[in-house]
Amino acid sequence: MENIVFGIGITALTGALATVAGSAEDTESNIGSQGDPNSQVQLAPQMGFLHRIFNKAVAGEPPAYGLWCALGAGLAWAFMAMQVNAILAIVLGCILAVFVQGVYATTAYLGRTASLAKFGQPVYVDIIKSMTTVTMAHAFIAIFCTVALCQLINGALGHPFPLPLLALIWGIALGAAGSATGNPYYGKERQYQNQKFGAGVPISASGNIVRYAEAGERNSIDNGFFTHKIGGSASGICFGLIVFLEIWRTILFERIYAGWGAIAVGVLMILIFTVIDRYIEVWARKNYGPYTVAKEADA
Amino acid sequence: MSAVAAKPQAGGAINPTAMAVGVVLLIIILGACWYVSPNLGLTALIGVIVGGVLIGFGTHFVPVGGAPAAMGQAPGIATGVAMLAAGAGLAGLFGGAWAAELGTTVAVITGGIGGGLMMAITCMMVNFVYVFGMGIPAASGKVLHDPITGDSQAEYKSQGTEGHGLPFVSFVGGVIGGILAGAGGTLIYLALLDLYKATFPTMMGATHAQVLPVAVSVAGMFAVALFLVNAVLTAYNITGTIEGPHDPKFKRWPRAIVASAVASALCGFVAILIVVKLPM
Repeated sequence: MENIVFGIGITALTGALATVAGSAEDTESNIGSQGDPNSQVQLAPQMGFLHRIFNKAVAGEPPAYGLWCALGAGLAWAFMAMQVNAILAIVLGCILAVFVQGVYATTAYLGRTASLAKFGQPVYVDIIKSMTTVTMAHAFIAIFCTVALCQLINGALGHPFPLPLLALIWGIALGAAGSATGNPYYGKERQYQNQKFGAGVPISASGNIVRYAEAGERNSIDNGFFTHKIGGSASGICFGLIVFLEIWRTILFERIYAGWGAIAVGVLMILIFTVIDRYIEVWARKNYGPYTVAKEADA
Repeated sequence: MSAVAAKPQAGGAINPTAMAVGVVLLIIILGACWYVSPNLGLTALIGVIVGGVLIGFGTHFVPVGGAPAAMGQAPGIATGVAMLAAGAGLAGLFGGAWAAELGTTVAVITGGIGGGLMMAITCMMVNFVYVFGMGIPAASGKVLHDPITGDSQAEYKSQGTEGHGLPFVSFVGGVIGGILAGAGGTLIYLALLDLYKATFPTMMGATHAQVLPVAVSVAGMFAVALFLVNAVLTAYNITGTIEGPHDPKFKRWPRAIVASAVASALCGFVAILIVVKLPM
């Protein structure tokens, strides 16, 4: 019984860490335009819309976070092998991993923006100075939370995988969940704030991203502030639910019927999410209605 | 032939010669494995190939919209094919590896359910953001009616787009893809773990308990690597985006099955060669 209570406590803690990690990951990627919306940031100068948006996308979020989390976890593991306290080891490992992220962000921005020189897009040195540190701070939160939850899974819950491998797996899953959930909100709702609410961006508007703020030109910290409220929170909830429910069903139900209990609970949860998804879909169709009359659309 | 006269390339045509070459390559690799390790090695390789094929096939179900989906210009999840499949499958592998001691069947199904659960949560949250964050209903660009619910799609597409969000059939496709990918990744891990647990003690001159952490780590790394190989290979077959099982691109899966089988066989053979003595 004590083991189960301890397991539930650790599970709750990993879920909380994952929620913070997901939220920080999405905000970091939005400030750096690392998700799929980077295509518009890259396209805008080619269409004649010069901007001051930070763009550090040279890899997708999942492999990038897989690398940074595995790097942080590997270094933390090495520090722990040198008898350094676990918390200090994770902090040190993550700090070193964040420096790699900073180098990546700087070279990516310089490379991507320099390639747009023929369209007149300048490389802004002040953007590197002000944005890179902000993305590094958010990346530190995301990497630290992910490595910490992997340490809990490995050390407290006894998962067989070593810490760096767990961090690689959950880093990739973090990037996948964060980019899947957060990208549309940044790509459509923020970059194309000048388009109609409640509709997708017409393909003909591609590249015409919003470049001006209430005062002066819009910068990427504004974007992070805006997207964090819904995109970041949704990404955090998404990754938090994934980590929490995956561990929760294992800890509580794996001993029932030699593993079949956890499988049954997993199937039940998939069915519950399916019903919720269908409810959301039908709710939107009923409340928002169609864009055109059905006959016209079929024709 | 001028560019105008050239036939448009569908990109989905099955090339029988290439498929035959793939099958021959697969047989050659299997034969080579049977030659160097007829029992343990061959069993592990078959497990790796079946796992790889499951990943390759499962990735076709995952609805991925890439960059256009991030602007609400196309349906699907706004990320890359390989990355999303890897995220779901590796989450499954995590659960499957945890359940390894409960037997192959339970572990593989647990891995599958882990991948399916990850996709179910992600797909639900994608629709949540589209509907409640952006006020956009789900609509498919490839079919007039959802094949599962029968809901009409065309009038729910906003002007100038190919659709947006995840219609129900795409959600179901995502969950099926996650289940297959998670089960495949776990099967590869278990196949290699059994091989390494049997061969490492002799090779390293250590006890089973001493080699277990090394065996788990090496099998886990190969499973992750093989996962990425198959997911990326399938992404090339899909070429960009896919809405799910109702998308015409889904019909390309036979090509990916052969390619995944050959790639998994070759990579799996390398994973086997590190522990098997070559008969000289």
